[in-house]
Amino acid sequence: MAHDGLGIDGLNLRDSCNSAPISEDAQQGVSENDGGIQITCFSEVVNDSTLHFQIIRLEKQIYAWIGCNSSKLGRLYAAAPTRPANLVSVTSILDGASDNTGSGIARRLVVKTGVNIILACNIPKNNPTLEADAERLLMQKLVSLGYRRPKPDGSSV
Amino acid sequence: MGSSVAEFPVPQKTLTLDIKGNKTDLVICRYDDHIMVIVTQIGAMGTILHARKEEGVSIDPTFNISVVFGKRDEPMMVACARQLIEHISNSRASRQLVLSLGLKDHSSETLKGVVSAVIENRLW
Repeated sequence: MAHDGLGIDGLNLRDSCNSAPISEDAQQGVSENDGGIQITCFSEVVNDSTLHFQIIRLEKQIYAWIGCNSSKLGRLYAAAPTRPANLVSVTSILDGASDNTGSGIARRLVVKTGVNIILACNIPKNNPTLEADAERLLMQKLVSLGYRRPKPDGSSV
Repeated sequence: MGSSVAEFPVPQKTLTLDIKGNKTDLVICRYDDHIMVIVTQIGAMGTILHARKEEGVSIDPTFNISVVFGKRDEPMMVACARQLIEHISNSRASRQLVLSLGLKDHSSETLKGVVSAVIENRLW
């Protein structure tokens, strides 16, 4: 299976998905789901932690799950651009009362892509480096899948 | 050659079916502690419900179902989540359920169709 070149240095890239219909990157141009839901999964090892990413793309929304060393669902957040100004609102909808690791990721994903996002994240708290790495990897993948918010002057972010 | 690639730790299944004339996409994922079911006819997740079995001493189990995002005035959606969590609990899995319903209509026929499709394609 060809691996796309995300150009990530110092990381162990393992691109693994199970047998359910899953679409590949836009760069590879293979889509197994016709116009409906597309799922992208991959895992990366970062500093002895394994981060798992699952991105489910709906027509008007993205659901993403970030797993750190486990397959627990974690905390669930919803984030969306809200009118009138281009502000982004984020709320925790499951389990996010005392630990809001992940809410910042959700908010910044919406800022950068402009799409409604539901994010599930089980990264442990007090680990900002891991959180930042997870956000960077997820954002890279979303950009490679075509999610990029154009700047007001027409060029891409 | 290095060690074999591990499988992605979250088993999942997607399918598309027709419920009362509406194209419905279904995604079922099995996390360690939750089952996530996404049912959409509108291209978005819609209303999100959370359901769990209450631990208690009585023989008959009780369940807690709540809408955590979206429409709170559709009892049929709550009933749909209730049926699914009971089914999950009956099969000895102690997982909680996160159910997202993005439906064009909330009639009991549609929701019965959703319940039977999910159970038929269950991952628990």
